[in-house]
Amino acid sequence: MKMITEVLIIGGGATGVGIARDLSWRGIPSILIEKGDFASGASGRNHGLLHSGGRYAVTDPGAARECMAENRILRKIAPHCIEETDGLFVSLPEDGFDYRERFLRACDEVGIQTALLSRDETLELEPELDPNLLSAVKVPDGSIDPFVLILENARDAEEHGAKILLHTEMTSLILDGDKIKEVGAKDLGGGEEYTIKASYIVNATGAWANQFLKLAGLQIGMALSKGSMLITNQRLTHHVINRCRPPSDGDIVVPNHTVSILGTTSVRLEEVENFEVTPHEVSLLIQETSKLVPAIQEARLIRAYAGIRPLFQSETKEDDRAISRGFVLIDHGERDGIKNLITITGGKLVTYRLMAEKTSDLLCKKMGMHTPCSTHLKALPKANRPTGLTEKLKQFSFERVETLCDCELTSRKEVEEFLKTDKLKDLQDILHRTRLAKGSCQGGFCVYRLLGVLHDLRRINGNSNEFLKKFLEERWKGIRPILWGPAVKEEELMEGIYKGIFNL
Amino acid sequence: MNPCILEPLKERMHFDLIVIGMGLSGLMAAKTATEIGQKTLIIGKGMGSLCLFSNTIDVLGQLPNGIKMKDGLSHWIKDYPGHPYAKVGVEKIENALSSFLSLFPPPYPFQTIDHRNCLLPTGAGTFRPTYLIPITMVGGSLIKEGQTLFVGFKGFKDFYAQYVADQLKCRGVTLPLPNTSYEMTAIALSRLMEIKSFRENIGQEIKKHLRHETQVGFPAFLGLNHPIQVKENLEEMMGAQVFEIPILPPSIPGKRIFNRFKEWLIQKGVTFSLGSSVSKVITKGKRCEGIEVFHPPVTTSFFADRFILATGRFIGGGLRADREKVFEPICHLPVHQPRSREDWFEKNFFAGHSQPIHQAGILTDLSLRPVNERGDQILENVWISGTILANHHCIDEKSREGIEIATGYMAAKQASGIST
Ligand SMILES: Cc1cc2nc3c(=O)[nH]c(=O)nc-3n(C[C@H](O)[C@H](O)[C@H](O)COP(=O)(O)OP(=O)(O)OC[C@H]3O[C@@H](n4cnc5c(N)ncnc54)[C@H](O)[C@@H]3O)c2cc1C
Repeated sequence: MKMITEVLIIGGGATGVGIARDLSWRGIPSILIEKGDFASGASGRNHGLLHSGGRYAVTDPGAARECMAENRILRKIAPHCIEETDGLFVSLPEDGFDYRERFLRACDEVGIQTALLSRDETLELEPELDPNLLSAVKVPDGSIDPFVLILENARDAEEHGAKILLHTEMTSLILDGDKIKEVGAKDLGGGEEYTIKASYIVNATGAWANQFLKLAGLQIGMALSKGSMLITNQRLTHHVINRCRPPSDGDIVVPNHTVSILGTTSVRLEEVENFEVTPHEVSLLIQETSKLVPAIQEARLIRAYAGIRPLFQSETKEDDRAISRGFVLIDHGERDGIKNLITITGGKLVTYRLMAEKTSDLLCKKMGMHTPCSTHLKALPKANRPTGLTEKLKQFSFERVETLCDCELTSRKEVEEFLKTDKLKDLQDILHRTRLAKGSCQGGFCVYRLLGVLHDLRRINGNSNEFLKKFLEERWKGIRPILWGPAVKEEELMEGIYKGIFNL
Repeated sequence: MNPCILEPLKERMHFDLIVIGMGLSGLMAAKTATEIGQKTLIIGKGMGSLCLFSNTIDVLGQLPNGIKMKDGLSHWIKDYPGHPYAKVGVEKIENALSSFLSLFPPPYPFQTIDHRNCLLPTGAGTFRPTYLIPITMVGGSLIKEGQTLFVGFKGFKDFYAQYVADQLKCRGVTLPLPNTSYEMTAIALSRLMEIKSFRENIGQEIKKHLRHETQVGFPAFLGLNHPIQVKENLEEMMGAQVFEIPILPPSIPGKRIFNRFKEWLIQKGVTFSLGSSVSKVITKGKRCEGIEVFHPPVTTSFFADRFILATGRFIGGGLRADREKVFEPICHLPVHQPRSREDWFEKNFFAGHSQPIHQAGILTDLSLRPVNERGDQILENVWISGTILANHHCIDEKSREGIEIATGYMAAKQASGIST
């Protein structure tokens, strides 16, 4: 199939969908293609920290300023994706006060509001913290649900004319002189091939940026770094907890709904795919984060996962183009003579909107247009609707519903609603859009039930056991590194069911 | 305050044999010992994997198709001399199975199909090899494409008729449940099935959906106490053969087995203590003298001449794992295991062979007494039975119930001084 559009965006992470939304509000048509589901790259594999900028205040004031500004904007346009938890930068006895003083000064300079709390004040707020702590600095950190954020951006973009193709990978491109003439893409579900002609092409593939550029014979100076995270089965603190020292391994605990996320590590990688969390990283994360919250030593973990951050080696040629060290926006017309190609990568989830704004500004400039950005003023579609556990529990007490997932209270009705509105291309999509398989059994029971419901509704009829096996294999990646204690029981139960009773 | 009041109350009781663990292995050990005339206490905190996974009795499902079980076992024992079956031997495995069978006379007997493994359909629409099957499941071994109607129920989320039917190229129907609230468990449904009017309602409804099918497959919850009555009554009403299909835990057929053992043991005067977690054993040198059960605020001690440890694996609580090692929490026996946590599990879930951690367990001598890696006996009046034993892969081998029955039987014989 052939398609024509003004701007083709490759990559359905926060950055890509942010650009699609920004352009749609400026009236510029676009197509976005994403090879997996939304957020299958770094956007779905991070801490979900709504940075105040504090983490960067000392080392990178530019990035810190951007974070603070975007943090304020997101609270307005996406309040339903955000938990306003605030954050604490905790000083432990071995950290001393040197960093704390620099930290306070740096925050002051970039405009991050801080409050210095004594040991007792801190412990009153967060009784699970190590009682030997010296003090804590409170900053406006928060936690953010990246998946909902991205879904909402995508929906808004589509409502304003953007077209989004999921499970569609860009596979080739044809150069014609100083321009990319067309792009080849493939629907990974149905196998259909597309050729897409666009006036401009935006490479928003994050850590895959160089894989894309290779197709055009280009490369940027970029290394890959893996960061691993752990999820506990309980929420351990109310606030985001940071260690008040220069950034290092295992220095953050982010609360998220009913769980906490422990992070992170930094390991150089050669490949952007096929990576795993090692038992050693797990031990390191527990050892370090439990210095802040001792209960982590005994906490039950439900999953381990990792994401890849692109790291840039500075290219003097582009330094003036880069808006800040936080992200990289490259006009390949100026850099390499390919006039209709732009790469945007790096940055943070929190700055996705700003990255989209700057990319769209550059596109407008190239098009000779002067339509200003409006995404900082326009709230996302569902901005006022309440979500979350209390709402769900309320629903349960009023009507009897069949729960497919007992850990996360996902009902059969919710799945049926989803099937009514969305096209079903990949079963994983349902798992991403509901809370199914996110609880402590990690889908051990509910994915079988989901398949059962789909058969019941005649939405699938083939060999579902292949999907079940694929799912269990994928689930294993997140579980294997954390198998000890009660989790081993759960593992025995899963094997007893799927290899035992069902003989898969 | 008087400290004597806070001091846990101590009671003393003495038995010939104490069996720790109430899974299939412990139950089998208690039965065997009782038949020999031992004054027995069986004590456990739960019903073990019996009520989770056991529907039929697996002995060695992994044998190639068509082989007689006896021949298969003889070869197996030759090939795997460290396997629990090798310690019991073919003859005693057969005796143990006969002893198990004797507990289940008609109307709820277990049978083999020609002394070989047979294939039964599962809740995922797969087939699975097994050995002794209860009469309610026999029909499953006969299913043919298009000949079976599978029945599921709205609001029962652990079985999906259409899922099974699609895999097995048959038809499936999902029926509303008469006069019940929306969500139902297998336990609740197995009770309801025993109510005549409830079951007749269902039977009549299914009859309307039957076309040319000669069989009807139900999730395995056709009654806890009188499954045969339920099955026959439905067959009569519908004019089709009825059979049960193993589903997600809990297992109603497993619970039937448990209840039958319990009834028999209590009738024979065995002291039966369910819901009691043994916190510690009292040892003196190489002898175990008693056990302590802590029911806050009371600690009760029981004493015996001999003990059988049948506490199962991780689910049963027989084994535990911390971040460094696998350990046995009650007697603190050494556990044979892979070298480090990195080696417990393979990178793939379906690795093509069993996960290494499942090899872990307690090593024993030929009489099932615990030994260390060098083979030295650790306790002289304790015997080990069931899946806590090392050197088997009961999930992949499909040997869970066989190992439990055979080693429970053998441990009780050994502990009672009958070693033939
Ligand atoms: C460990 C870790 C922790 C982090 N924690 C935080 C945090 O707490 N807060 C925060 O604000 N930021 C955090 N970040 C940063 C943040 O996650 C990223 O900056 C952000 O998600 C980047 O979004 P993106 O859209 O640019 O890239 P991605 O989300 O990686 O999106 C790129 C997309 O492109 C797709 N793609 C690639 N190649 C092709 C192709 N050929 N065809 C089609 N599609 C293709 C991929 O499938 C992917 O979905 C963290 C990052 C990491 C790695």
